Amino acid sequence: MTTLAKSTLTGTDPTETGPTESPETGAAATTAEPVLAVRDVRIRSQVDDREIVKGVSFELTPGKVVGIVGESGSGKTLTCRAVLGILPPHFEVSAGTIHVAGEDVATLEPRQLTAMRGSTISAVFQDPASYLNPSIQVGPQIAEVIRVKKGAKRREARRRAVELLAAVHLRDPELVYTQYTYELSGGMLQRVLIAAAIAADPRVLIADEATTALDVTVQAEILDLLADLRDNAGLALVVVSHDLAVVAQLCDEVLVMREGEVVEQGPTEQVLYHPRHDYTRLLISEHEQYGLEKFLTREQS
Amino acid sequence: MVRRVLSLASGRLAVGILLAIALLAILGPLLAPQDPLATSDNSLTGPSAAHWLGTDYLGRDVFSRLLDGSRVSVVGALEVTLMALVVGAVPGILSVYLGRVFEWLTLRIADTLIALPFLLFAVAVTALLGNGITQAMLVTGVLVSPLFYRVSRAATLAVARSQYVEAALISGASLGWVIRRHVWAKVLPPIAVALAQTLGVGFIIVSSLSFLGIGVQPPEPTWGGLLASDLGYLDYRPSAPFVPALLIMATVWASNLLADAIRDVSGESGRALVNTRKAKANQLAAGGTA
Amino acid sequence: MRVLAIFGRSVAIFIPVFFVATFVTFALRALSGLSPARIQLGESATTEAIANIESQWGLDRPFLVQYWDWFTDVLHGQLGTSWVNGADISTLIGLGLGVSLSVAILALVLGTVLGFVLGTTAALRPGTLLDRAITGFVTVISVMPAFVVGIVLVEIFAVGLDLLPSGGYVPLEEGGVGLWLAHVILPALALSFDVVADVARQLRTGLVSAYRENYVVGALVRGLSPRRIFFRHVLRNGMGPALATLGIKFPSLVGAAVVTEWIFGLQGFGRFANDSAQAGDVPAVQGVLVVSVAMVVTFNLLINIVLGRVTPASQRGV
Ligand SMILES: Nc1ncnc2c1ncn2[C@@H]1O[C@H](COP(=O)(O)OP(=O)(O)OP(=O)(O)O)[C@@H](O)[C@H]1O
Ligand SMILES: [Mg+2]
Repeated sequence: MTTLAKSTLTGTDPTETGPTESPETGAAATTAEPVLAVRDVRIRSQVDDREIVKGVSFELTPGKVVGIVGESGSGKTLTCRAVLGILPPHFEVSAGTIHVAGEDVATLEPRQLTAMRGSTISAVFQDPASYLNPSIQVGPQIAEVIRVKKGAKRREARRRAVELLAAVHLRDPELVYTQYTYELSGGMLQRVLIAAAIAADPRVLIADEATTALDVTVQAEILDLLADLRDNAGLALVVVSHDLAVVAQLCDEVLVMREGEVVEQGPTEQVLYHPRHDYTRLLISEHEQYGLEKFLTREQS
Repeated sequence: MVRRVLSLASGRLAVGILLAIALLAILGPLLAPQDPLATSDNSLTGPSAAHWLGTDYLGRDVFSRLLDGSRVSVVGALEVTLMALVVGAVPGILSVYLGRVFEWLTLRIADTLIALPFLLFAVAVTALLGNGITQAMLVTGVLVSPLFYRVSRAATLAVARSQYVEAALISGASLGWVIRRHVWAKVLPPIAVALAQTLGVGFIIVSSLSFLGIGVQPPEPTWGGLLASDLGYLDYRPSAPFVPALLIMATVWASNLLADAIRDVSGESGRALVNTRKAKANQLAAGGTA
Repeated sequence: MRVLAIFGRSVAIFIPVFFVATFVTFALRALSGLSPARIQLGESATTEAIANIESQWGLDRPFLVQYWDWFTDVLHGQLGTSWVNGADISTLIGLGLGVSLSVAILALVLGTVLGFVLGTTAALRPGTLLDRAITGFVTVISVMPAFVVGIVLVEIFAVGLDLLPSGGYVPLEEGGVGLWLAHVILPALALSFDVVADVARQLRTGLVSAYRENYVVGALVRGLSPRRIFFRHVLRNGMGPALATLGIKFPSLVGAAVVTEWIFGLQGFGRFANDSAQAGDVPAVQGVLVVSVAMVVTFNLLINIVLGRVTPASQRGV
């Protein structure tokens, strides 16, 4: 955890030695042991006995980023929640396996799942304010994770929490530590949420539409932050987005989902520049029509 | 909404009990087998063929007194509820439209009424302003009216600020249709819930006041009064409070049940319930075929 | 700092409440048309004698002047003298306050503790048999008016088992904790049922809906244990409605003292209010009402401060 905070603090230079492979050594990374392996996962709703996610597979090694794009309701969030073992009531994984750091999630006891979450795999979501407790200052919520997951003492946890807040590029981390969610802006909250998510040094971070509600410049900053974490801490990322620009900027591999099915999957360049499926082409052309302005701003910055 | 409430078992039960009590109130005095005021020598007897529920300390037939007293309770509870509805809902709705001064004033008055210990006030006011159950009920109605004020104000605010009403009007719907379709749909359920709740509270207050002997002239029977007279003779007839207490509780329970049923069919919680049931049914079906 | 702000805001809410309540209370005399002269002289008094007595009591002055005099006296803790026997009303109420407060506070404690246990137990296992059993039990006790509970308790513990006295009161300093408790436990229980039911219900609803909030998912994803999530996160937010209910319930708890004190033969202020009202002793009734409103307002101030500490977010913009 200190390594993470320090390395992030010390700068974003990718040549500096991170704990794991940097993106330049991409060939080595693909042969490394996957930290997350999803194989043909299907998710069923018990309410109407419908299959909502119809077979998703991907592997993630340290320092890599997988992107999931697709229309609203296509099952992106459900897939992420299945990986975290937090499907909403009346949903179940009906087939397929999920391995996190080599362990099959389905075989884990609730206690082991709790141990795994936060310290091996963690997540941030859209609408960050709602994922933090409104009645507790944000700092202590990060310190709590450090205390529980890393066994740190109260003061040590506080110190590290402030360090983390600085690591996610929040100005005046001491002040932010004592503020409530309603006193912070959306961009600040997303940073706080990321700080809380990485507080126990997870190896995988799932970012489910983590930048969707933010305005373009803030969105770019958060994406830079995620890229930093990937480069310096060797974090493996699952990035879910509607926005192809986000995917283009960050991901090594992309899955395109539609109505619960993966219609196209492959390296980012191939999917974005040589789409094979009609739906992917549609997504890209829509993006060119409506998202061009956004895209250009990002390219310039 | 009525049909959906009746489609729930709890809704049917609640309406059934309340109808039975209402019938008792209308027909009770006629059904009473004996004169509820007639005293006799065999006092404090247990249940028998002649006196189904025994006799009280003056030898009066308890069953007849119970039937005869039902009217006071029912009418009293209705008075409380209607008074609260009128005194609460009208300013509640108007507070959204009549400007800030009116709004501020009514809000402060509602705050105050909530803070008053209403049984204490009802006792004081009734005793000071003249002994009559109707006065007592009307005063109590005013004291519990903030519930209606709050509920109707909240619903009206929600409607007044909502965009769908505006959208419907812009898209050419007639005002009458919009009110029937959207405004009523929003305002009516919470008011119906409050009505049922207040009915229950009303029964408790009427019986509490009549228990204390406030607002009733002595020989006249009331459910609360029956309990009060039993209290002094518990050593002789320990089972005496059972039936009047049960009647009061059943009535209050039915009112609350009705409130819950209305809430269930008109809110979010209804959907969650249905989902759980469907999921269970599917699991069962899956288990059955496997 | 935050506490002070909450305190200030709450006081600002309760000052108008106190004003309106005292005004209504004071207006009772004018509305009732009662006069000390009738009580002292009987029905056959001459108009002259009546006027004489009324001017002695200052009742011939303008209404607002009378109100202002009375109100400033109230602020100094002076509630005037009884029409019936000329005794100091503050003293009379003070005599009964010990009983009433003992019962009310014990009822509040019992109700909160029992309601808390029932509410959380049900909320932690929603939809199970245990949840339904608790919900059923809570429903039953919620429809039992205080006087019915009182009678049932007297029947069981005083008449049936002969374990506890059926009435009367022994102050703490005279009989010690044992005797004091033996006398106040039944009335307190009778009053507490309503509180138990409301706290349990609100807590259950509050906790169940708090469990649906995203921050629970957030805490889960950060790897916190279910136990910690409950105690540190869910309870804190789900408690709000139950706490607020305590504030709303308190007035009816105070009011219901009229009934329980009657059943258990306690000489508290509820009994005093009833007796004074029956006797037409207007200043005494006004005194009791003012004291009860002051109790309610104080209690709600406390609740507001606790609420502000527990759920600071809900305080914003109030
Ligand atoms: N809690 C829930 N209860 C009922 N249905 C749900 C729930 N969560 C998701 N669904 C259903 O599952 C399907 C997939 O939802 P999911 O949230 O995974 O979509 P998504 O791809 O993340 O969409 P979006 O891009 O809008 O976030 C949808 O059809 C939705 O209706
Ligand atoms: Mg989603």
